[in-house]
Amino acid sequence: MSGLAITRLTVRFGGLTAVRDVGFTAAPGRILGLIGPNGAGKSTLLNCISGITRPSAGSIRLDGTELAGLSMHRIAARGIGRVFQHPELVAGFTALDTLRAGCHRDLHYGLLAELFALPAARRQEAAARHRALAALDAIGLAADADRDMALLPYGHRKLVDLARSLMAAPRFLLLDEPVAGLNDAEIDRLADMLRELRDVRGLGIVLVEHNMALVARLCDEVVVLDAGRVIAHDVPQAVLRDRAVMAAYLGEAPADA
Amino acid sequence: MTGRRLLLPLAAALLALPWGVGGYVTYLLTLTFIYALVAIGMNLLTGLAGQISLGHAAFFAIGAYATGLLTQRGLLPFPLALLAAALLSTGIGALAALPALRLRNLYLAIATLGFGTVVQKALFEWRGLTGGGAGLELAPPHIAGLVLNNGRALYYVALAVLALGLWCAGNVARMRTGRAMLMLRDSEIAAGTLGIGIARFRVAAFALSTFYAAIAGGLYAYLVRYINPESFGLGLSISFLGMVVVGGLGSRAGPVLGAVFFVLLPEAFRGIKDAPGLVFGLALVLAMIFLPRGLAGIAPRSWRLT
Ligand SMILES: Nc1ncnc2c1ncn2[C@@H]1O[C@H](COP(=O)(O)OP(=O)(O)OP(=O)(O)O)[C@@H](O)[C@H]1O
Ligand SMILES: [Mg+2]
Repeated sequence: MSGLAITRLTVRFGGLTAVRDVGFTAAPGRILGLIGPNGAGKSTLLNCISGITRPSAGSIRLDGTELAGLSMHRIAARGIGRVFQHPELVAGFTALDTLRAGCHRDLHYGLLAELFALPAARRQEAAARHRALAALDAIGLAADADRDMALLPYGHRKLVDLARSLMAAPRFLLLDEPVAGLNDAEIDRLADMLRELRDVRGLGIVLVEHNMALVARLCDEVVVLDAGRVIAHDVPQAVLRDRAVMAAYLGEAPADA
Repeated sequence: MTGRRLLLPLAAALLALPWGVGGYVTYLLTLTFIYALVAIGMNLLTGLAGQISLGHAAFFAIGAYATGLLTQRGLLPFPLALLAAALLSTGIGALAALPALRLRNLYLAIATLGFGTVVQKALFEWRGLTGGGAGLELAPPHIAGLVLNNGRALYYVALAVLALGLWCAGNVARMRTGRAMLMLRDSEIAAGTLGIGIARFRVAAFALSTFYAAIAGGLYAYLVRYINPESFGLGLSISFLGMVVVGGLGSRAGPVLGAVFFVLLPEAFRGIKDAPGLVFGLALVLAMIFLPRGLAGIAPRSWRLT
């Protein structure tokens, strides 16, 4: 019951079946790697969990509650965080604005309080600003607070994006290729952050990643998708030795199959 | 903070102006304030939330007629009538536009265009209430026993409402709703996955903008003191959108600058036959070519909303 349980999930786009009968459970306090060749259906699967794409069949349950069919913001409210492969920029947003936007669900003042900047609104905004600055400080980007997101180095942008999704204190975090485009130092920093989230905050993490070295050192278990199907689900060491997995990556049938 | 330092002299000048200029200029300035109010609301809708409306003349009209009728029939004093009319207009807007809010961009623009046409038609046909094509004549309004029977009084009322409207829009823009609207303008999936209710904030943006339009409409009714469905056509809706775009989408000063451009520029060439339309059209084209970020693009950054 506990955890994020995917059962018999299928997603069709017209004639194409991007995800086929997929099932696995992500547990809190664990990092589950989701790997597979390009077009395997990894992002589609994350989009389904986040409510961006409607599944054609199957279920997604969080601690027993069905998420499939809910709208994005309801799913977010239940504790599913999402980080996109490429940071989604908002024109004119600074790093600080970006993180304050992540505080959205913690701000409870009404529209009237907002229109007239009543004390309730001011107080909560000040608290959000404070939290946002602290979060920037924690990822070592305090100096970027007032800089335009579009002008930040790509690696900083991705870190800010991750920090934003954490402002809402999710219980499960879905990450789509978080280290693509980062340099080695940035990858190490991000890996440390993810480990801490898992070990200290007890977050459940689903990590889509092509960087196998990172998958091997970070993940507690790995699910391999190929053409929408699960072809392996095991600890990283076993999965990365699996011939069928290697074959899927190399795009050829195993020699002895 | 050039913006801040300009504020005080600007306020003083605006307060003194009606005593130094003639009645016609006072009228034009009041009209500018009123249009600026509509544009401020449209800026929340278009500049922040990224939605286009071609039907805001309808909300302006509902505000004008409702304010006029409520005061004329002695149902409510002017300030309350303004508020009630704005709430009514917002309610009608929310109801009528709710299905349209599932639509995006051009589709919403076309749907609101249809709504505007329907409202204008209804004003023509519902003669018993609106006077139809013959229009509606209004006696000067009262505020707290004071009769606002000269242009100056209404100028100050409009200026005060404009200042309040600007301040409120600025507050919204830099707080929760403003950030949510900007996020759904640029990335619905990022907004949604952060827990921002997309439908809710699109409705909020639309409702806020209709509220501004209706308040402005109520003031307009008493500025001209004679309203007629003809005044609230598609041309006006397009002008409202034009003000926001020319002024600079998403900027604080933009809507006001846009209103100045739309009201005062044609006036400046009034003496010359055929010139106003020609010069205005040309200026519009030039402004868009040379000022892609609008008139506010040349204003200091501190004036920007975002
Ligand atoms: N909205 C869509 N409409 C139609 N087809 C889609 C849509 N989204 C994804 N697909 C298709 O579904 C399949 C799976 O795509 P998906 O993006 O999930 O793959 P992926 O595993 O994330 O690949 P990559 O590693 O390249 O990111 C692909 O064939 C893709 O073209
Ligand atoms: Mg992908």
